[in-house]
Amino acid sequence: MRFMVLVKATKDSEAGAPPTRELVDAMMAYNEELVKAGIMKGGDGLQPSAKGARVQFDGAQRAVVDGPFAETKELVAGYWIWECKSLDEAIAWVKRCPNPMPGPSEIEIRPVVDIADFGEMVSPEAAATWDRLKSEVGNG
Amino acid sequence: MRVMVLVKANKDSEAGVMPDEDLLTRMGAYNEELVKAGVLLAMDGLHPSAKGLRMRFDGAKRTLTDGPFAETKELLAGFWIWQVRSFDEAVEWLKRAPFDGGTEIELRPIFEMEDFGEVLTPELREQEERVRAESAKLAG
Repeated sequence: MRFMVLVKATKDSEAGAPPTRELVDAMMAYNEELVKAGIMKGGDGLQPSAKGARVQFDGAQRAVVDGPFAETKELVAGYWIWECKSLDEAIAWVKRCPNPMPGPSEIEIRPVVDIADFGEMVSPEAAATWDRLKSEVGNG
Repeated sequence: MRVMVLVKANKDSEAGVMPDEDLLTRMGAYNEELVKAGVLLAMDGLHPSAKGLRMRFDGAKRTLTDGPFAETKELLAGFWIWQVRSFDEAVEWLKRAPFDGGTEIELRPIFEMEDFGEVLTPELREQEERVRAESAKLAG
């Protein structure tokens, strides 16, 4: 099963405060463990929402709203994609993660959709298109 | 540069309702365009937050909370990772996406190694490159 592991933003990450040397070292060592265990399939850190934007869709209209966005603790600051045998395995790995922020923080674990999960709701053509696109972009 | 495109949840996605066939078809065509243009690096959809959980980090304490989570419109339902020449190019691509009805999609620049400056020593940079290369192999 694949999981998306979301590191939520905090005031520090939104302020663009650079991580300490200790945290970078600890996080890098953790990433190495994830790779050695065959768990980590991808991951990135996001720049503060001040550097981002949102596009609102309404009929043919597109409105662009520049960041920063207010709801700090709901914003995403980074993510991993993991391959685990079960949700419990993903939880066990998150427990071992160094606290990704200088203060209290939160990590969200979300199972990733496999097209097979939708069964008969997806037409064979749609499933084939999805599989082909996924293989072209190479992310499982 | 790389950007993350965050598709937020709505009542339907949180209820596990599939998009209708018309939208799936238009989204498939849009994804094909992204692939042909060399923009699409990765994409995934997430199961409703009812299947996920959150772990709170505070000092040495780890507290687990099961989903679903209440703030529906701030939750993530899916994402793309795009390779673009500029943030403006990402905004232009996003404007062409087949969303409607007040949907809001967030665009966030991804941190690249050069953004970290001196915190990233040559050793850490080498480690980071190795972790990325190996996790890309796992994703392949």
